[in-house]
Amino acid sequence: MSSIVRAIGLVKRYDRTLAVAGLDLDVAEGEIFGLVGPNGAGKTTILRMLATLLAPTAGDAEIAGASVRREPDAVRRVIGFMPDTFGVYDDMRVWEYLDFFARCYGIPAARRRTTINDLLDLVDLGDKRDAYVQALSRGMQQRLCLAHALVHDPQVLLLDEPASGLDPRARVELRELLRELRSLGKTILISSHILPELEELCTSVAIVDRGQILAQGRVADIERRLRVGAVLRVRVLAADREALESARAWFESDPDVASAEILDDGTIELGFRGDDAATARLLAGSVAAGLAVMTFSRAASDLEELFLQVTDRDPEPAVVAGNAPPPPTGSGALW
Amino acid sequence: MSTALKDPIEPTRRGSGGGPLGRAAHSLGPRATGFSAVGVKELRGRMRGKRAFVLLTFYLVVLGGFAWMVELLLERSFTGNFTSVTYASAQIGRFVFVALLLLETLLVIFLAPAFTAGAISLEREKQTLDLLITTPISSLAIVLGKLFSALSYVFLLIVSSIPLTALVFVFGGVAPEDVIKGYVMLMVTAVGLGSVGLFCSALFRRTQAATVVTYFVVLAMTLGAFFVWVFWGTMAGGGFGRQQFDNNGNPMVARQGPPPEALLWFNPFVSAVDVICGTETGSFGGTCSIIDVVTGAPDPNSSIGGGDAVAGPLPAKGGGVFNGGGGQVVQAVPQPVVAQAAPSRDSFWPRAAAAWLVLSLILVLLSVNLVSPTRRWHRPRLRRRGGNPTGGQAVSGAVPIRDPAAGPLAAPEGDAP
Repeated sequence: MSSIVRAIGLVKRYDRTLAVAGLDLDVAEGEIFGLVGPNGAGKTTILRMLATLLAPTAGDAEIAGASVRREPDAVRRVIGFMPDTFGVYDDMRVWEYLDFFARCYGIPAARRRTTINDLLDLVDLGDKRDAYVQALSRGMQQRLCLAHALVHDPQVLLLDEPASGLDPRARVELRELLRELRSLGKTILISSHILPELEELCTSVAIVDRGQILAQGRVADIERRLRVGAVLRVRVLAADREALESARAWFESDPDVASAEILDDGTIELGFRGDDAATARLLAGSVAAGLAVMTFSRAASDLEELFLQVTDRDPEPAVVAGNAPPPPTGSGALW
Repeated sequence: MSTALKDPIEPTRRGSGGGPLGRAAHSLGPRATGFSAVGVKELRGRMRGKRAFVLLTFYLVVLGGFAWMVELLLERSFTGNFTSVTYASAQIGRFVFVALLLLETLLVIFLAPAFTAGAISLEREKQTLDLLITTPISSLAIVLGKLFSALSYVFLLIVSSIPLTALVFVFGGVAPEDVIKGYVMLMVTAVGLGSVGLFCSALFRRTQAATVVTYFVVLAMTLGAFFVWVFWGTMAGGGFGRQQFDNNGNPMVARQGPPPEALLWFNPFVSAVDVICGTETGSFGGTCSIIDVVTGAPDPNSSIGGGDAVAGPLPAKGGGVFNGGGGQVVQAVPQPVVAQAAPSRDSFWPRAAAAWLVLSLILVLLSVNLVSPTRRWHRPRLRRRGGNPTGGQAVSGAVPIRDPAAGPLAAPEGDAP
């Protein structure tokens, strides 16, 4: 698979703040690529630079071989962009909205009608064809905006927080829709701070914070690479608090355990540095030591937890090349 | 305009749109396609429902009523004053034309900026501009499409009043060329004032700010410039280039020449007066002499009486259009209606029109630059602290990660692509 979106040293500086700090990105064709990060991490700036809406301060990016700096027109023809916040025109019907964008892309009149009908069917708005755009629900507007981005059959879709403000059902529908689009051969870049969504959907993710990519790759790969601070949860049958405390002390004495604390519900939570073998050894050891272990599990290391681990790490992120950002002064203030 | 426009609901027609405009645009390439796309979209919104047509009807009724009342007033004031009925009729025709043209000028001054001052800023406020810019249509197509679709309704109002204005031919005294000139000037003024609104709309993020600034600029260009012109003329010797006498009757020496007429190019009323006075030999109630003064031509009436020099430069003081011209002898002496116009007249409005068009062109280009996401010219930013733009490290709050100046395509260390 060749890479269809490539960013090389992309920098965006707003006056005194650096929103994107030398970003390198490689997205293979046909992927659903997730950009994950807290609010203000620079996700929107990255997508807007790729969508030719912002000129990079330095660096360049290529989409389907066209440079966003030098050939913005060529880029615009291969991308469909859906911004995080978007408005709709008043006084416009659903089909007119799509017709307008179809005209903008120079689609001949003969083909416009079928294109619009197909798209409305795809996003399940066929029966809203003659409704006014401003009368649609938020979820419907979101789908309409997605339809507008598809009007010229682009190779790459750039979706900025497409699921924000949607109810759970609409989210599920959107996820289905994106899977369908992927099966049609589109490459999708999607940003979100709602992580479980991306975890299920994306083939690859990049964790972004303070304008830098902290980790990038397949979800499973990142997980493996970052399995440094796994969390183990142990429940022990203990008669009283004292017994529980002595169990905690036993676990803490293990060289691979970094921390051990008793949660309110009696679960002992261990910060664990060891690998899978060490985990097995710890369990066997605890049983052999006479602890009545009821459950022993690795806390589900999902994207959310990874994300927290990676973005919490201070002051120097391990994965990043180049200088480290200074201690956080409130990442929301970055842009 | 397009078939889809006429009836958006009819299933056999909808979506098949384009029509002659769309087809023509398509054959002209992407730039024209974008222009027609924006235009069709805007017109669909503006012309939907009854609103636009009710407003148009109301406007024509008001305009017609105004012309009728002016005519009645003139009839009353002229009774018995003229020996020749033909001459009286011609005077009425001319006055009605003047009244209509000035009213429409006023209308254009108010409406053209109002329609364009929100053209771009509303797209920004509603967050629709990004969607538009990520399509391949050019910023020029967006700006021109916005300008002309916003002005199309103003044009419609102007054009729809032509039959009404043509009623003055019944009275005579006005040649068809005068009407055509008047309407050309109205259209050009609409384009110019529309571009002022459009530019403000592109410059300011908020429609409210854009609207306020637009009207302020329009006021400054019309009334402000006129005031400066009067002030300049008075201070430079008081004579606006004409011979003045002091209290003892000795000729005064003008300290400077007359003020430049360019100050008045953007005052649509002066251009309207020039059009009106094109075929007029007299001073038309003192109004026309302003054109002679503006263009610095010798006053054709200066031999008639010295009083004219006082009343001349300020039409408001010199007696309005309807009162016979305070202290002027001209009005009492009937002049032939078809006569050789003073050579200075009828030459101001073409220059003003050219000035408007040049201004429009400049403002449209500036607007294109402001709309374009990767603009070529930037407003200079005020740097109050740490004035060194490359000294990111020295400035607090910056995140000194990598100096972008090190190379635009610099790959991260040890990670060459």
